[in-house]
Amino acid sequence: MAPPAQSHRSPSPSQPSGKGEVSDLKTQLRQLAGSRAPGTDDTKRDLFKKVISYMTIGIDVSSVFSEMVMCSATSDIVLKKMCYLYVGNYAKHNPDLALLTINFLQRDCKDEDPMIRGLALRSLCSLGVANLVEYLVGPLGNGLKDGNSYVRMVAAVGVLKLYHLSASTCLDADFPPLLKQLMLKDKDAQVVANCLTSLQEIWSLEASTSEEAARERETLLSKPVVYYFLNRMKEFSEWAQCIVLELVSKYVPMDTEEIFDIMNLLEDRLHHANGAVVLATIKVFLHMTLSMTDVHQQVYERIKAPLLTLVSSGSPEQSYAVLSHLHLLVMRAPYIFSSDYKHFYCQYNEPFYVKKLKLEMLTAVANESNTYEIVTELCEYVANVDIPMARESIRAVGKIALQQYDVNAIVDRLLQFLEMEKEHVTAETLVLVKDLLRKYPQWSHDCIAVVGNISSKNVQEPKAKAALIWMLGEYAQDMQDSPYILEGLVENWDEEDSAEVRLHLLTAVVKCFLRRAPETQKALGDALAAGVTDFHQDVHDRAFLYYRLLKYDVSVAERIVNPPKQAVSVFADTQSSEMKDRIFDEFNSLSVVYQKAQFLQPSYMFTDKEHRGPFAFSEELGNLSIGTEPSDAAVAAQRVEANDKDLLLGTSEKEEGHGYGSNGSAYSAPSYNASTTAGASQAHFDLVSIDQPSTVHPPVSFAIDDLLGLGMPSAPSSVPSTLQLNAKASIDANAFQQKWRQQPISLSQETSIDPRGVAGMMNPQALPQHMQGHSINCIASGGQAPKFKFFFFAQKEDGSSAYLVECIINSSSCKVQLKIKADEQATSQAFSELFQSALSKFGSA
Amino acid sequence: MLQCIFLLSDSGEVLLEKQLTGHRVDRAICDWFWNQILTQGDSLKLVPVISSPTHYLFQVVREGITFLACSQVEMPPLMAIEFLCRVADVLSNYLDGLNEDLIKDNFVIVYELLDEMIDNGFPLTTEPNILREMIAPPNIVSKVLSVVTGNTSNVSNTLPGATASCVPWRKTDLKHATNEVYVDLVEEMDATINRDGNLVKCEIYGEVQVNSNLSGLPDLTLSFANPSIFNDVRFHPCVRLRPWELNQILSFVPPDGQFKLMSYRVKKLKSTPIYVKPQFTSDSGTCRISVLVGIRNDPGKSIDNITVEFRLPPCVTSSDLSPNYGAVNVLADKTCSWTIGRMPKDKAPSMSGTLVLETGMERLHVFPTFQVAFRIMGVALSGLKIDKLDLKNPLSRPHKGFRALTRGGEFQVRS
Repeated sequence: MAPPAQSHRSPSPSQPSGKGEVSDLKTQLRQLAGSRAPGTDDTKRDLFKKVISYMTIGIDVSSVFSEMVMCSATSDIVLKKMCYLYVGNYAKHNPDLALLTINFLQRDCKDEDPMIRGLALRSLCSLGVANLVEYLVGPLGNGLKDGNSYVRMVAAVGVLKLYHLSASTCLDADFPPLLKQLMLKDKDAQVVANCLTSLQEIWSLEASTSEEAARERETLLSKPVVYYFLNRMKEFSEWAQCIVLELVSKYVPMDTEEIFDIMNLLEDRLHHANGAVVLATIKVFLHMTLSMTDVHQQVYERIKAPLLTLVSSGSPEQSYAVLSHLHLLVMRAPYIFSSDYKHFYCQYNEPFYVKKLKLEMLTAVANESNTYEIVTELCEYVANVDIPMARESIRAVGKIALQQYDVNAIVDRLLQFLEMEKEHVTAETLVLVKDLLRKYPQWSHDCIAVVGNISSKNVQEPKAKAALIWMLGEYAQDMQDSPYILEGLVENWDEEDSAEVRLHLLTAVVKCFLRRAPETQKALGDALAAGVTDFHQDVHDRAFLYYRLLKYDVSVAERIVNPPKQAVSVFADTQSSEMKDRIFDEFNSLSVVYQKAQFLQPSYMFTDKEHRGPFAFSEELGNLSIGTEPSDAAVAAQRVEANDKDLLLGTSEKEEGHGYGSNGSAYSAPSYNASTTAGASQAHFDLVSIDQPSTVHPPVSFAIDDLLGLGMPSAPSSVPSTLQLNAKASIDANAFQQKWRQQPISLSQETSIDPRGVAGMMNPQALPQHMQGHSINCIASGGQAPKFKFFFFAQKEDGSSAYLVECIINSSSCKVQLKIKADEQATSQAFSELFQSALSKFGSA
Repeated sequence: MLQCIFLLSDSGEVLLEKQLTGHRVDRAICDWFWNQILTQGDSLKLVPVISSPTHYLFQVVREGITFLACSQVEMPPLMAIEFLCRVADVLSNYLDGLNEDLIKDNFVIVYELLDEMIDNGFPLTTEPNILREMIAPPNIVSKVLSVVTGNTSNVSNTLPGATASCVPWRKTDLKHATNEVYVDLVEEMDATINRDGNLVKCEIYGEVQVNSNLSGLPDLTLSFANPSIFNDVRFHPCVRLRPWELNQILSFVPPDGQFKLMSYRVKKLKSTPIYVKPQFTSDSGTCRISVLVGIRNDPGKSIDNITVEFRLPPCVTSSDLSPNYGAVNVLADKTCSWTIGRMPKDKAPSMSGTLVLETGMERLHVFPTFQVAFRIMGVALSGLKIDKLDLKNPLSRPHKGFRALTRGGEFQVRS
């Protein structure tokens, strides 16, 4: 209704300016003002309608204010309503004229028809003119005591409106205590609900300045008040129920019995037709049972069916909001929906945003038993006409593959995608195949056979091209044509727009050169020459790095560019579990819906930040280490994060922007002002004279260790078998996490624990305390029966070596899995013995 | 809570604006919103909850009308979305449809409705029966009435008695000349059939719709012969939940007129009444298509209103389709709809034809999804049976009627 200030100054050309019409209306209204002739109301109504319709389309009709007020003396309720609407819209900008309306509104507040009393009171409170608040107090006070519930209902909200206009007037008139009285006594549930909303808002706003208000706010959450609301729950309208449930979710019950009473009382709300009520109820359930592990799991079971119904029966908008919540739940408890995966199958005509969430649900619920069906379903979407959907589906397939279930079948499917000969499918699949190979190098043979058949001309998207080039370099020895394909790509260097692709091309050519030098020499020379003249800072720098490296020593270059790789165990998750945890505190709030929409700031800024325990941290560690398969201890020392480099490649693009800016200064580096063509050709010339690497496999291990500064264990055999631990060793959680991530596993063992020890696990603090007695400190712990997870830290007496332990205890089978990471590989066995002996004493002491 | 509601036309024009609190929301927000839609290409692609630099926006789109609500504070998202959906439902119910012209013609009524549905950003009532008592719908009857009686107001002069009664959805002193109650089972079958003709998913979403024209305060009980088939149920607020929990009996005091008593879901059905078998064979730039439709499991009643709809892939340049029964229409956006109508007794309908592909394309590799609609009168495919309907406090024995109907819902066949 409110035309924005600027728009009535300059109405858009398509709209009538309305000036002539408005003055016309003005005269017509004036003629009618005093008339009492029959039929006047009809004419008035037409005129009012015109005024309102102008107002609606954004024409300023505030100039007829006084005429409208003059005509408002009528008994016709529709006329009154239109008049109230008009007045409410313009009063704020015309406070002087608004004074004119007070009179007739006040009179209407005493009308014998309760509907008119209510409407007038509502309009009076909505005028929004601060100078007129004194006229509000009387009618509001009467309204709160009115015999009709409709009027009381309006008055209850009116108090809040008054409070926002002038807090002091509202408080001086003692309205809040009146509201409280009404809230606890009124027969009409809607009046009660309105009192509650008003009081909640008033007292929370006042709480910061007034102790009394803070106290009052607390009493809203007291047992008698909450029980009063719970007992009247069924009388409330669905919307009032939402408000009451929100209040209940903040209530902290005294004991478990109370929790069960409340849940029993509210259980039937889960059948409510209104999704907002269902979700609010679920929030109460989840909050109340957070500390009761078993019941919490039962709650998950109980809420499953109502949630799934909401997803499938509501409008797409409702489905979206509910699915966002399901996604949150599934992150906490992936198993709850694992048998209901079919509910997340996409319908052809659903909006994309719903489909996308469903795909995420499908990837989240995938486990050993349902992967085959889910992937089959996803494959159907890939052939779909909808291109964004096909892309998302391929990504989902990839995500499932990276979760390690049934990889065999998935890789086959992915390779079939490559044969579909659709550009977007090929592109998306290539990126995935690359990631898969980094995680499952054992599939390289099958994949390479198919990837080798793809013509690089059919791949245009930078990400996909980069992936293809990476594979060409990485598997140069297995792909017959690799050097020639790369050569062809280097020839088209100038046409390649994406810096990411050029960076990958450089690396791939160097890798290829190190393996098949004679065939790649020309391509390498061309690539380096093109690279050093490249305008992009990163490409330029990398070209020089390779050039210098190769010139310095080919074997060193080999070790740096092409070290033996370790399979990636877990790709860095995009969203930390801490965030998910936080959002979980805010179930049934906007933040859940935003979780995936990358707009603005995450809205969890909204709520208070207490409530963060060490638990979240332990979860995160758990995430990091999941799937770290114990593998060959021999290569452990070389388990450098060779992959880090690949990650770096990925991020280099982000720096693109800075690259341009700093170009000039970088080129002035003293010994390398080779950005001129002369310099470049010189570089090229030098390159050709580089000795071909005579040994393709130099003795790598020694130097690599050096490079990383780990230091070789000076004399592994001389380590005493009795290991002394530093009793005061300490490390902070972040440093631990950092270290855990960086170090390879030096020892992975399975052992068992004394059943008496398991009994001691009931107290989560018992094991950490016990281990501390043996100079082994617990950094983080978590998990639920029967599976507990601990992270321990210990240090050698002289401080020379630190030991990091991940210990997973299964309390039902009494099995313990240990993963030990140590600075000094050689002593890890000794430490493991020490650790196990300490663990075996747990419970028996 | 909600600060403002806008109704936007399909071209982004503000049809209506309703400020709900003292914190006025500038109309400029609509321009921002519409820009987002334009950059996304389609209002259906925009997620229902987005945040502008100043507000959180909720949007629900119905029949081309966008219901946009703004809020600056945290609130339960479903509360806003549900509310907007209800507003849309109530409006389309009141105006007998929903489009730009209807809203423009009746904007006063829309304002009046919004006024009663939400105050200061908190939803009050969205119960159509109550609203109807406060604001009369603009139907022809009331227009005629107003001419006859000379009372031109479409607002009743009395307050709904129900707001103070213990059954808020019903007037206390209703009198009907006809004393009758009808119960309809309306089911929709949602099924997905994959490329190999296997049933991936088959569910029934059903509603029990009641049309009650009973006088006084009738207390009804409705029981089913096989309530165990329900997977999940949702009820109208009038249903007493305790008897349901104990004996699966629906006990309720009905609102007056037509309303949805309950909705339910029945999962894991084993078969569909109808089959649709599409087939594509490509050969050097053309593709032969054939679609067969037939009865798989005879439901015992005739199947009618059958239509099969699909969208040709963008790489198809032209098509020539001919059915042996019914009619085929190909629209400009390549949507083909084959209207079969009632399933013939003597033959199985089929449609065949050729699709010409873009030059350079040898064979078709994206395949459309077929959406199938049908209707079967007299049968609830879930197998749900109503046992009996009783009136506890009968003034006179009412006339009772039962009907059942199954429709194709999201019935999709992939090819």
